[in-house]
Amino acid sequence: MLQVKDLHKSFKTGDGNVNAIDGVSFSVPDGQFASIIGKSGSGKSTLLSLLGALDKPTSGSIVVGEKDIVKLHDHTLIKYRCEKIGFVFQNYNLVPNLSAIENVVLPMEFAGVSKTKRLVRAKELLNQVGLEGGKQNRKPGRLSGGEQQRVAIARALANHPSLILADEPTGNLDNQTGKLIFDLLHNLSRTEKTTIVVVTHDLDIAGKTDVTFRLSDGKLVKNGAK
Amino acid sequence: MNVVSRGIRNAFRNTIRTFSIVVILGLSVGLALSMLGARQAVQQKITTIKSTIGNTISISPAGARGFQGGGEPLTTAEIAKVSSIANVTKVTEALQDRLTTSDTNLVSAIDAGTLGNRQAGNSGVGFQAPPDGVPGGAAASQDGTATVKRTFTPPLIVSGVNDVSAASAYGGDSVTFTSGAAFNASSSENVAVVGKALAAKNSLSVGSTFTAYGATVKVVGIYDTGNTFANAGMLMPLATLQTLSAQAGQISSATATVNSIDNIDAATTAIKTALGTAADVTNDQTTAKTAVEPLESVKTISLYSLIGALVAGSVIILLTMMMIVRERRREIGVMKAIGSSNLKTMLQFISEAVTLTFLGMLVGLVIGIAAANPVTKVLVNNSSSSTTQTAGPGVRTRGIRGFGSNSVTNIKNIKTSVGAGTLLDGVGIAFLIAILGSAIPALLISKVRPADVMRAE
Repeated sequence: MLQVKDLHKSFKTGDGNVNAIDGVSFSVPDGQFASIIGKSGSGKSTLLSLLGALDKPTSGSIVVGEKDIVKLHDHTLIKYRCEKIGFVFQNYNLVPNLSAIENVVLPMEFAGVSKTKRLVRAKELLNQVGLEGGKQNRKPGRLSGGEQQRVAIARALANHPSLILADEPTGNLDNQTGKLIFDLLHNLSRTEKTTIVVVTHDLDIAGKTDVTFRLSDGKLVKNGAK
Repeated sequence: MNVVSRGIRNAFRNTIRTFSIVVILGLSVGLALSMLGARQAVQQKITTIKSTIGNTISISPAGARGFQGGGEPLTTAEIAKVSSIANVTKVTEALQDRLTTSDTNLVSAIDAGTLGNRQAGNSGVGFQAPPDGVPGGAAASQDGTATVKRTFTPPLIVSGVNDVSAASAYGGDSVTFTSGAAFNASSSENVAVVGKALAAKNSLSVGSTFTAYGATVKVVGIYDTGNTFANAGMLMPLATLQTLSAQAGQISSATATVNSIDNIDAATTAIKTALGTAADVTNDQTTAKTAVEPLESVKTISLYSLIGALVAGSVIILLTMMMIVRERRREIGVMKAIGSSNLKTMLQFISEAVTLTFLGMLVGLVIGIAAANPVTKVLVNNSSSSTTQTAGPGVRTRGIRGFGSNSVTNIKNIKTSVGAGTLLDGVGIAFLIAILGSAIPALLISKVRPADVMRAE
């Protein structure tokens, strides 16, 4: 279960304090596929950063499983990110000089998984997301956008995370590929029993998720399961 | 693949940039290595010079210098005190005497010439036997009552030495034996080695004999110093000359050798204290220090250049790594987001810096090995300056023997070799460059916040 309670995040700017996240509270049960929608600047990416322990909130709590990640020390947060969170980015953010399989291996290496085990797991994941054969040894530059995003999803799943956070995962893809990627994420949330939170502009995609949250000016204006 | 191998691989991500950095870094390491080699060679040379040039202390009886002045001769017992003084490595003793035509059947190899006659006149000493019928020729000449026309023949200088191998025995010149060999300096046999000119003038060869002080002396060797004055002399064992010339236990000069010119002041003072007013003690320290000065300046130049090359190399790596970190800021953010710690991320970039530096070091080693010797020679040649002493044949100039054109040649004759130690130093320099150059980029890496990178997308 992902539980967010009265979350606040403010930034200091030249014009004073800006409340990027202003008292957000919601929860997502394990294995559910949730989406966060909202206009640009509504605080979606900031919320995702807070959920992914990439940034610290000004106040509030984020409980993943039974741990309040807000209270974790920096060193523990790295371990938490490594083992419990998977990230999927709009721009894929694969390491360009590593092959697809090496990119998937990377989080497992950081988690201390043995070389043999991580190679086997990486191959399995790439096969699972539909990237097979010689493509697994290609560098990102020689893969299409859809294929790169598949690699990114495989990388996000590498350490069996409790939570996958995806920031506009279909934003750079054509409709057809975007739909395939969404279906892939949706199926994974079922088969891997992983909670997935997706930030998106695409209302069609948001409409297909288990739960959708709408953010406006850092506040949750619509909160509800379907 | 781990962080280190990823760092190594990343070093080749941009081949053109890698090539450029490696070449520039190679030049920097090469220069540093050349300077290190030059510094080591110069230091070695300075140590050699300090222990070979100007590290002697001349001891002569108080008031006497060679055959000039007066006073009482030193004794073997007095000189023995000098041997026990700290940093004195060797003491050579000598007794010099002049053989006139009445003392020997040998003829001087040097013509009197203008200088000889002038010196004979000024000294008031005649060396030839008084002409027949003129008793006390010298006195007769001085009071002007006689009208004998005197001819002056320069005396033969004979030296009794206790170290026949010492350059000072031959007047500080390097010596080669054209035939025969040196005698045993501790013996008391009636033997002598004679200068090439003296041997030629008197048709002497090894095995020949001649008369001195009424005794028969055998020639055991003929030497050549390349010096007209020294080649007209002869050497005998110290004990032999002391006995033949009836100067038992007497010394007319001694030379103490000190292990380094750095200790010469202290040793000189100690000798003065030990011998008191019985001896005049002088050293060549000032001249020797002048000889070392050019090398000291080369040493300083090479040190500054070494530091400069080190700084340049570090700056190259620093700027390169800063550029790389800036370029890969997002990648760093992503790595941190998916679980890489600051330490692991920094280690990857340090590996990259070390790889670039290692490649630069290989190029630098080649440059360093090739350039060390020429660079050192250029530095030394440009820094050396000297005062060349010149003298006419047969005339002994006062001054420092062994320091002149020969010692300048000696200073310039410097060879740098890049050995295993220097190569290890080169590796050390390269890694120092890598560490210094990676420090700030590593700090930049630690400052990258994944959230900022994600926000900037």
